[in-house]
Amino acid sequence: MTGRLYQLPLTGKPQRPLRLAQRRAAQAEAPEAGLAARQTPLWYAVALPQLLGIPDEQSRKDRLTLLADRLGTLSATVSVEAPDCLVFEARSSLRYFGGIGKLRALLQQLLEPVLSEWGLPVSVHHAASPTPAASLLLARAGCNLLIHRKENLRSALGRLSVQSLSMPVSRRRQLHASGLRSLRDVWRLPGHALGQRFGTQFLRQLDQCLGRIASPVRTYQSPPRFNSSLEFEYAVETTQRLLPAVEELLERLCSFLRARDLSTLHLHLSLLHESQSPTLLTLDMRHAGRAEAPLLLLLETRLSTLALPAPVSGMQLEAWRFKATSGSSHSLAGFVTEGTGRSAPREAIAPLLTLLQARLGDAAVRSLQCHEEHCPEHAAGQAVCGQEQGEPGSGQTETLQARRPCWLLPEPVLLRQDNNRLFYRGSLRLRSGPERIETRWWTGQEVCRDYYVADNARGMRLWIFHEREGERRWFLHGIFD
Amino acid sequence: MIPCWRLARVLVRRKNTGNIYSIMPTSDTDHRLLSLLHTPGLWRGSEHPCSESGITDPGLSTGFPGLDACLPWQGWPAAALVEIITPQWGIGELQLVLPLLRRLSQQGRMSLWFAPPCSPYAPALLASGVDPACLYVVSAAPAQTLWGIEKALQDASCALVLAWPGRLNSRQIRRLQLAASTGRTLGILFHHTPLRQSAAVLRLRVDATAQGLRVEVLKARGSYRQDTVAVTRGQP
Repeated sequence: MTGRLYQLPLTGKPQRPLRLAQRRAAQAEAPEAGLAARQTPLWYAVALPQLLGIPDEQSRKDRLTLLADRLGTLSATVSVEAPDCLVFEARSSLRYFGGIGKLRALLQQLLEPVLSEWGLPVSVHHAASPTPAASLLLARAGCNLLIHRKENLRSALGRLSVQSLSMPVSRRRQLHASGLRSLRDVWRLPGHALGQRFGTQFLRQLDQCLGRIASPVRTYQSPPRFNSSLEFEYAVETTQRLLPAVEELLERLCSFLRARDLSTLHLHLSLLHESQSPTLLTLDMRHAGRAEAPLLLLLETRLSTLALPAPVSGMQLEAWRFKATSGSSHSLAGFVTEGTGRSAPREAIAPLLTLLQARLGDAAVRSLQCHEEHCPEHAAGQAVCGQEQGEPGSGQTETLQARRPCWLLPEPVLLRQDNNRLFYRGSLRLRSGPERIETRWWTGQEVCRDYYVADNARGMRLWIFHEREGERRWFLHGIFD
Repeated sequence: MIPCWRLARVLVRRKNTGNIYSIMPTSDTDHRLLSLLHTPGLWRGSEHPCSESGITDPGLSTGFPGLDACLPWQGWPAAALVEIITPQWGIGELQLVLPLLRRLSQQGRMSLWFAPPCSPYAPALLASGVDPACLYVVSAAPAQTLWGIEKALQDASCALVLAWPGRLNSRQIRRLQLAASTGRTLGILFHHTPLRQSAAVLRLRVDATAQGLRVEVLKARGSYRQDTVAVTRGQP
């Protein structure tokens, strides 16, 4: 046994040390020979000038990250260089893809369908060099260049304009005034003098381009996404039978969330059918959660009201919008003070609202809103809970002086009029008024009313108005408490 | 030794004449009476049922001193179901709960309104001191509404449930009362058709008068008093 082990290096591959030696000898000819030369990275930059035509900055950013997502198949290290570039490390995967030419073709194949889908030109600029900064400069300048060695960077970059470096306008003017047009002019000047005249930032950029100092690359990480599915052995026809599968999927989701310390606000459950498109259930929660029991309760509630259009053959659970979990802190002494459960009622009630919405539908739970408006029907509104614009009920800052009814009818009701008397469930007696409201003339539907408070025979206190123009009719508009 | 029948007569007489139902020992002779009171088989009326039945929650003041005085909890019961019976909606019954709503919204506690007859008008609530951000309106089909009311009553995060559920049977009311006591939430039902018997802890009949409201206590658990209180409305 020991004898065999001892013999292994000799009998295994005798030519291997020889090949290494040959390569070392070849590298020794280069000025910086050895391992450092072998590890020279190759940064591949793609410039997409067509993205600059998109006016919206956010959409530009979104599209660039979407492309960065796609480049994940080519390299493990992809960096998004706003506004228009992507850089990735190509050396490590060069042999796998079969050379730089193949890699370029693959890249083109990845980008073309997406760009043509967006209606943008498909041509992009490529450049690859040992430093990301140089690759970026070259790609942005539109020189489709491949540079393998650091020593060649100087001459390749020499053709570029000095203005292609990023710097403030004053520095640009200064460079122009000094007669420096291209980087070649800069290379001719001594380094320390450059630093003194144009600042260390400028010098730093040059050094980063030439690989004298390392340039940091911010690696893009695609956002987490949960997608898990179950296939059933036979089609399930009742929602009750689906619950064990839902539980299984939720278990997977919760362990996914715990591993990443995330919580989720939106769940998408698809029920797959044999012969028709899947039934989609979307669960929007008002509070981020990652505990299994409440999620199961919510999905159970949602499923209980669902009529299955066809037997279910499989199930898929997806989640892609997450929130970092914010833990709740407890007091050091561990005392539970009276009413801690109600200390933040707005957050505390969120699970109940989510449950109600899961069963009754999103639109069933509404919050009240106030608006700065003089016209009564436009001064209030309702918003679906969870979709409010801003804080509910916060629109109006100052309270009204005049009294308003607690109930406002959705539409004013025409009052019966007989012998100069008004009737609504009995004859009306005016108590106070008028309060004149004239507004909204700019909308074309002018409001021109005199409001009165009236009592009817049954003890209802009503808010009625008299039109001041047109048919001069009387309407009931609200009921006081 | 006072015979048992005599003791019973004392209790009945007191019940008929006044508000004090419990017996306090005044002399040595009453010690025997007191020992009788300790026998578990003897039921004892009490003016303060809360302390007797182990409910430690004080009531929530209604905001109307007259009404508070004739309720055994000195206000709304804290964890129970209340029925407010009106001949029709809109006669001012919301006046009764506005002070409570105002206080809860000052504390930032939430209330849910189930199936109100009409949309609550936020500027009016704001003007009467109720923050509209502290309430949510839930509207759904009647059967689903009942489910929602029960869930809300069972949930401790909801301080007050106001509901206009329409006609209910006694089983449904009992179920809601149970939910309210488990969730320690005050639930107030508004409706027009009173049942002969109801499991609600407090039942009030509200009628409109020229001055305001006449509130009649139909039932308050733990009290025999069936008082009528007049509540004046705010002037327009």
